[in-house]
Amino acid sequence: MLEFLKKIYSREDNSRTKANSRLRLVLTHDRLDMNEKIMETLKGEIIELIASHMEIDGVPDVRLITEGRHAALDISIPLKGRS
Amino acid sequence: MENGKPESKVIVVTSGKGGVGKTTTVANVSTSLARMGHRVVVMDLDIGLKKLDLILGLENRVIYDIIQVIEGECTLKQALVKDKRFPDLYMLPAAQTRNKDEITPEQVKALCDELRPDFDFIFIDCPAGIEQGFRNAIAAADDAIVVTNPEVSAVRDADRIIGMLESAGFKDIKLVVNRLRPDMVKQGDMLSIDDLLEHLCIDLLGIVPEDKNVVISTNRGEPIIMNNRAVAGTAFTNISRRLLGEDVEFPNFEDSSFWDRFKLLGRNLFSSK
Ligand SMILES: Nc1ncnc2c1ncn2[C@@H]1O[C@H](COP(=O)(O)OP(=O)(O)OP(=O)(O)O)[C@@H](O)[C@H]1O
Ligand SMILES: [Mg+2]
Repeated sequence: MLEFLKKIYSREDNSRTKANSRLRLVLTHDRLDMNEKIMETLKGEIIELIASHMEIDGVPDVRLITEGRHAALDISIPLKGRS
Repeated sequence: MENGKPESKVIVVTSGKGGVGKTTTVANVSTSLARMGHRVVVMDLDIGLKKLDLILGLENRVIYDIIQVIEGECTLKQALVKDKRFPDLYMLPAAQTRNKDEITPEQVKALCDELRPDFDFIFIDCPAGIEQGFRNAIAAADDAIVVTNPEVSAVRDADRIIGMLESAGFKDIKLVVNRLRPDMVKQGDMLSIDDLLEHLCIDLLGIVPEDKNVVISTNRGEPIIMNNRAVAGTAFTNISRRLLGEDVEFPNFEDSSFWDRFKLLGRNLFSSK
């Protein structure tokens, strides 16, 4: 029984879970012919661009989302309204 | 098309990464189809590193090779090696001392066109890699089968190959997962079939478990489908049946999901009272 519980709770960091998360990232990058560095630069530039026109309120989020073999850039930037 | 027969199919078996089981798949699926009475020819395009003759146990019967056919030293019929165990199976051997870039996609296409009238299935054993050998192998193919192992590097290469096949216009690319170890999947130490399908997003054609009988049958030069007690043999036979359009159920090697475990846990807790 203990063995069983241990298994459930270790699920998060077993090697299969790890393999899946690494693959998810590397396949997305391979397909788009990009890497983490380009992504970071892109993120910085997008946020900078928005910030030059509007006031950002909170933590902006720019990331790749995938659906099957297709990918999209998901940009979520909270903006400060007029007070 | 003649005599109302369906058109012949040229199928390339490819993977990107080497050593994942392409040749084993070609040898067994083609043998299995020939055993069911279909006229099958296997074309070894792993020029320079041929293995198909050895896996099929036909190495002593090879006289001519594909390059000699292309260069006109012999006819295609002369080069075809007939498998005595399966009267409907033929092999066109690769050349061992030549290079993959000594033939062109057009030449492979011409050979396939010459073979089409006499065969129901033409299987192409593709070399590893994404270079000339790969381009030659896919040039004449109507359909593509991608073989992979449940392992990150093999999956990454498979994904690259699938991308290249899609750009080359292939539709309905099929996946064969070879060397699956259900025990490791259950322990959380191997990618599951669902994981692979989620990453690669193509249809599943077959699941071949890791099976030491594969090594034994390769040693003997006897395709593993001839061993009807071997799980890998059954798996390859099932792949052939699916290629013929039969709806063969996949054995459930899958790991149970978190919620299944949870339910099971609940059930165990209550029943142990
Ligand atoms: N299901 C299996 N269980 C155990 N061993 C296997 C299995 N499938 C393949 N093998 C072994 O793996 C090795 C590689 O197989 P194979 O030659 O078919 O791969 P390949 O993809 O054609 O390789 P290459 O890229 O070099 O052409 C062989 O020694 C074979 O016996
Ligand atoms: Mg091979």
